[in-house]
Amino acid sequence: MICKKVAVAREQLIDPVAAEWKNVPAEPLKMDATPLANQPSEYIKASRDEKQIGKIRNLLVQAAHNGSDIFFRLTWEDESQNVDITDNNLFPDGCGILMPLNGGDPPIDEMGSKDWPVNAWFWRADFKDVARNTIARGLGTTQFSKQCPIQVKSTWGNAAWAVVFARPLAVPQQQSETVQLEAGKSVKIGFAIWEGSNGERAGVKSFSKEWRELALEI
Amino acid sequence: MAEVSEQQKQQRAKELASELKSQKALLKKSKRQLAMVFDLNKCLGCQTCTIACKTLWTRDEGMEYMWWATVNTQPGKGTPRDWEKMGGGFRDEEPQAGKLPTRRDFGEAWDFNYDEVFYGGKGNSVHLQPSGDPDWGPNWDEDQGGGQYPNSFYFYLPRICNHCTNPACLEACPRNAIYKREEDGIVVISEERCKGYRFCTEACPYKKIYFNHVRQLSQKCIFCYPRIEKGVATACARQCPGRLRFVGYLDDENGPIHKLVKQWKVALPLHAEHGTQPNVYYVPPISPPRFDADGNIDESKPRIPTDYLKYLFGPDVEQVLATLKSEMAKTKAGGKSEILDTLIVYEWKSLFGPFTKDPATLEPRKV
Repeated sequence: MICKKVAVAREQLIDPVAAEWKNVPAEPLKMDATPLANQPSEYIKASRDEKQIGKIRNLLVQAAHNGSDIFFRLTWEDESQNVDITDNNLFPDGCGILMPLNGGDPPIDEMGSKDWPVNAWFWRADFKDVARNTIARGLGTTQFSKQCPIQVKSTWGNAAWAVVFARPLAVPQQQSETVQLEAGKSVKIGFAIWEGSNGERAGVKSFSKEWRELALEI
Repeated sequence: MAEVSEQQKQQRAKELASELKSQKALLKKSKRQLAMVFDLNKCLGCQTCTIACKTLWTRDEGMEYMWWATVNTQPGKGTPRDWEKMGGGFRDEEPQAGKLPTRRDFGEAWDFNYDEVFYGGKGNSVHLQPSGDPDWGPNWDEDQGGGQYPNSFYFYLPRICNHCTNPACLEACPRNAIYKREEDGIVVISEERCKGYRFCTEACPYKKIYFNHVRQLSQKCIFCYPRIEKGVATACARQCPGRLRFVGYLDDENGPIHKLVKQWKVALPLHAEHGTQPNVYYVPPISPPRFDADGNIDESKPRIPTDYLKYLFGPDVEQVLATLKSEMAKTKAGGKSEILDTLIVYEWKSLFGPFTKDPATLEPRKV
């Protein structure tokens, strides 16, 4: 997967329907159900059928950077737009990007490990234009960091979501909380989608079950 | 290669399951267990407990529809509506799927036209009423009960979180946000860890966990632990004018809880078949007799069908009722009954075990 170097300002690329995105290659990703065996709850294991988990199976990922900021555009078909938690039994749609926090090869299907944490950039429809920077050291351990260097914009139309995440490549003041990126280098990356209408939340979601290498063009 | 990888996967799944099991075992561990006994023969459905709890704990934004303590008429749909049909709990130790009750099922917090009636000059022309057209509330089917006249019947069922020994909510939480306090077995939700996923509410067979839509996390009865820590009984028990809510440690052999539950065995858990080992126990209601077709009293049949009580409290309810009746016969004949004396509660503070301190000695809650 290539993160294309572009000469486009943040203000333009943060827009999910910006024409500039037409020039950025899109990588189709096959998504899978998260394995039931990895759900950190006997209740979830007993009450769910793996075949019903991960309703969204196709994701398009575009990645670009302009030398100072990096952008990810995630698009997927979704006939039901689930935004606000207006009732106890309703769940919002969402998506996330996962990268090893300090390199290495953390288990992607276990949300990293004690020694090899992962950094997730998380967005949920009810957050609107707010993203969360998350660190995890194993299943069920995600915590939002207080400061979030990630900006997000989303749109739903023609039965599809388009979500753009933007962040400075390097965030030196948050070394321990968020991954540091650099043009010319590559990073392991994974993705997840939560389909609200299918009751998906927490580890119940679809995900790219193996790390991809994302190479940041110079 | 693929076969090896499948084996590795299975091996890892086993390791994860075993790690999870030991984490949950730690979260469930408690040295002692606080419990309550509710004597249903004394509950008059006045809702003072309900309001005591509401006033103390669920007044903040997002908590409007929460009633950690409820009292419902039985037979009835309860709170949330039809909670007994929503699954959850365990069968043969295997967690059972449960449903999420909606806000309507719990009964929305209605808005009333206070301004119009009290300050709008329409005090004589407009009734105080909820806005909209609510078709359910937390005590909607009050006093409807069951049976046919002249054999109609009902009784009240107060409920709180059961602070189970084997909590389905704790088992369900994928974030280990729910735990039993080691010192007293009170089940609490860590608001730092909770992310509002609501698997706990799904799994709880008693449906006693609420979702706070403002703070986006789950909340429930905390057994008034900040009071308990200071030697003060729970608000619902202390405010109960019927003297029917006993509070104490299950293992305190001198306390009423141990005597009623373990020694005399006259208090039973509600729907124990869900396998969560609830720690709220009920003294079942004794029935008045039925009228026969000629209008004569038929002592041979109880007004409240025993099968209904068995449905709620299990097969031992027959033995409990027999014990209570024989104790009553004993006192009728001039004898003494320690069981009845305990249930009558001559001394108000005998309800509260070691938690007899006056709440007025506590610092007011910071708002």
